[in-house]
Amino acid sequence: MMPVVGPYVPRAMTIARATRELADVFTYSFDTPAGFAFRPGQFNMLYVHGIGEVAISISGDPAEPQRLVHTIRAVGTVTRALDHLGEGSVLGVRGPYGSAWPVEDAKGRDVMVIAGGLGLAPLRPAILQVLANRADYGRVTILYGARSPSELVFREELQRWRGRFDVRLEVIVDHASRDWFGPIGVVTKLLDGVPVEPDDAVFLCGPEIMMRFATRELEQRGVPRDAIWLSLERSMKCGVGLCGHCQLAGSFVCKDGPVYRLDRIAPYLQVREL
Amino acid sequence: MDDLEGVLKAHSFLAGLAPEHTAFLVSCAKNVRFRPGEFLMREGDREDTLYLIRQGTVTIEMPRLGGEPICLETIGPGDVLGVSLLTPRAAHLDCRAREAVVALALDNACMHRKMDEDPRLGYTISMRLLERTYERLARARLQHLDVYR
Repeated sequence: MMPVVGPYVPRAMTIARATRELADVFTYSFDTPAGFAFRPGQFNMLYVHGIGEVAISISGDPAEPQRLVHTIRAVGTVTRALDHLGEGSVLGVRGPYGSAWPVEDAKGRDVMVIAGGLGLAPLRPAILQVLANRADYGRVTILYGARSPSELVFREELQRWRGRFDVRLEVIVDHASRDWFGPIGVVTKLLDGVPVEPDDAVFLCGPEIMMRFATRELEQRGVPRDAIWLSLERSMKCGVGLCGHCQLAGSFVCKDGPVYRLDRIAPYLQVREL
Repeated sequence: MDDLEGVLKAHSFLAGLAPEHTAFLVSCAKNVRFRPGEFLMREGDREDTLYLIRQGTVTIEMPRLGGEPICLETIGPGDVLGVSLLTPRAAHLDCRAREAVVALALDNACMHRKMDEDPRLGYTISMRLLERTYERLARARLQHLDVYR
């Protein structure tokens, strides 16, 4: 294990590799100190010196913990500052924090992954772990929705997954021109064309509105709430459940989440004030 | 006729319909095929047919003068096209076969006659069309929210 230096003390890490995914989305890889490990679905707090800190999910392969990977969209002050950095820049990194996708517990079951937009990034470690242990799972289905064909992230990897005979990948976009041959519409429409069983383990990540629609559709198809996990996003500050910024009813998203089983948080997803 | 009745029964839109109702609708139905790129419906056309898609996909698109159309949604096997059967009006979008499409075409005027003759059938078809319309409306609203931005 890595020596604990205190939950608030970031460790300096250098960006070893920077990859442009989309105009506003980029991936940074860091070489991690010995002993670093994470579980799929966990996040780190990334600190840009003099600017601030932001919670970002880990998008790398859990089988390669020596290489920490984060895929980030430039939308706020800190993430825009991150976008201006490049290979060789040094960041402060705290973590990993939070709960994980129950990849181990899902062994023996069919696994369905539903991702929307950049929601594919926190799910990528879970997908990689499932595929690395493919024989331990039943049917593996990945449903991915994006805004347009030009806004698909991890495009090369999507093509690799689509090329496998033991995975079903369906991609849908909200809008497209005639040169797109895939389906057009919302991600929940993909559920019409794939088998959905009550004992599937479903991992869901994307904009909260999309997740609410998707959980409703899954429940209509007989998938119980205790078979659906989703990753929530809230304003996280301390990362260890002390400051209260990310409080959701009686839980702290940074500590008890970000991955929750639906039956544990479903009532709160409908409360407007939360 | 027997074959057509079987095909009608097999489509999810009509699944579970009382056998006498399916038999009653056979005279309104015919099998149709569209080549890739062919239009099932064009903006401004009078919607006189309800299509039940059996094979292939159809793109629902908004034509633009001098530009590529905007593709709004694709529909496929099991889907229904022409839900304005209930309130006939001119089509407001283009519907184009993206690949070879096989569908059942139900003549709207014939359907209206049958639905008037047998109100139970009329009620069932109307409810199913409303359900499909609601589902499409919900999807369109979600799409309109542009949540991935």
